[in-house]
Amino acid sequence: MTQAMENRRRHGGRRRILLFSLFLMSGLVALALSGSIASAAPPTLTIVSPANNSIVGNGSPVSVIFAVTDFNLTKPGTGGLPNPNVGHVNVFVDGVWTAEAHQLTILLDLASGVHGIRLQLVTNNGTALRPDVTSSIQVTTTQGPVNGQPTISITSPLPASVRGTDNAISFELRNFALVPPGGPSAPHEGHIHVYLDGVFYQELTSYEPPHFGLNDGSHTITLQLVDGAHRPLNPDVSASVTFTVNPGFGRAPDLSEPLAITDGLLGLAILGLLLFRGKLVKR
Amino acid sequence: MAVIFLLGLFAIPLSSSTARAQPPVLTIISPSNGEVIGNGSAVIVTFLLTDFVLVQPGRVGQVVSPNEGHLDVYVDGVYSQLITRVEPIVLSLDSGPHTILLQLKGNDGQPLTPDVGASVRPIVTHGPAVGRPGVEIKFPANQSSTGHDVYFAVVLSNFTLVDPHGRPNAPNEGHLQVRVNDRTQEELSRYEPAFVVDMPDGENTITVRLVNNDNSPLQPNVQANVTIHIKAATATLPEILNFGVTVLLIYILIVLILRRRKAEQKAAPPGDSQ
Repeated sequence: MTQAMENRRRHGGRRRILLFSLFLMSGLVALALSGSIASAAPPTLTIVSPANNSIVGNGSPVSVIFAVTDFNLTKPGTGGLPNPNVGHVNVFVDGVWTAEAHQLTILLDLASGVHGIRLQLVTNNGTALRPDVTSSIQVTTTQGPVNGQPTISITSPLPASVRGTDNAISFELRNFALVPPGGPSAPHEGHIHVYLDGVFYQELTSYEPPHFGLNDGSHTITLQLVDGAHRPLNPDVSASVTFTVNPGFGRAPDLSEPLAITDGLLGLAILGLLLFRGKLVKR
Repeated sequence: MAVIFLLGLFAIPLSSSTARAQPPVLTIISPSNGEVIGNGSAVIVTFLLTDFVLVQPGRVGQVVSPNEGHLDVYVDGVYSQLITRVEPIVLSLDSGPHTILLQLKGNDGQPLTPDVGASVRPIVTHGPAVGRPGVEIKFPANQSSTGHDVYFAVVLSNFTLVDPHGRPNAPNEGHLQVRVNDRTQEELSRYEPAFVVDMPDGENTITVRLVNNDNSPLQPNVQANVTIHIKAATATLPEILNFGVTVLLIYILIVLILRRRKAEQKAAPPGDSQ
């Protein structure tokens, strides 16, 4: 009997220890969970890259990398109940909501020009945190390269050369992308204004050589790089070539006029002979 | 028993952290160094990571651990992406060689000690990745006769024409130089016939040459030549009529002169003929 009581007491003691252990474990888990979320510091958000006012060239997408602290990024709608330390990021471009992200890199395909990018932390249900947690930058995108000085040079015709009436102007362009006019101005992109003898002739938005039908004499053709608003670059980037047009250059001579003169002279000679023959016959 | 159970519970994370305590290893599987990524495709970087867990930095209650963190991607020294999952990294890059560096970072954003990274240098081109570039003039035919303004139909193979706005050279891309009698006449960056105007009369040699973005010829040089004979347009009707009238008048004049001489001989006194 004593042994039975001893066994019961031992079992009861084990049960108590087990219950205590379970209680301790659940307490630890609860502490871990509550400590990780409820007592977390207010979240922060920082755009790491690109730097503010930077230029993204060659028409590349803008890769926005951001960092958060004390904030768990989750796929929208999957983070459970709204929690100030759990959620995703709303992306605004030029003040317009563009995307939501739960990864730390966002790729934005933006047209040329200056753009304001703002990121905002939101909870799972899309509501902004209190206080609002945001980070903003301004970037400039361009189809042209970021670095290098734009240049233009005329490769044909050569300066002081003699050409025929029809001419194609060939040029070389460096560090400048040709785009249709009308869009916002961006570095290292735009189009070309063509001037013939100082007078505006046409716009070039591609590398196709412009053609000219020119009259006799000396002509100067100028190609000038301009931005999307038709303003010359600062400093001005242009190239000129002066050459002479001779319609007969490289052509076989036109015989119509000499033949007509010859015909006239021959006619006069024949007429003279006929008249002289008449006098001779009378004599 | 409960104590053993609790110890076991604590032992699990401890043992797993001990097991992961091996130094992380990062390996780029593709692309390989010097690999040409053709047709303007995006570069897809695949990597292998061992003994390192990728997690989102900045999570609530996160601590720094030697085998946990994220992956930073740098392209040509510029911070490009932050990766928290082992998945292919897609990079849209312009033409030319690019250095892609992957670097493991701890949860505090600092490089591991010792640094764990891997880099690769592929070459991006808008042209095809393989194949030897070629150029051929399809029209006009060699030694043919044409007018002064001529369209040249050119066929390219394994070469893509791009706008040369300062991008670095890349394999199998560039533009087309049209040279007339060894002088550069036009540069084409679009796949269209070359239109050469006002060529001088006589023999003209037209050369089309493939060049890199910086205008340097390919190595080895890739070009095609055609020699054509430029002649003035066929004589016009007034010119032909003028010429016919001239011939007729000359004939009449000669006949008249001859007849006049005969008449003079007849009219002269007999003694004059002696």
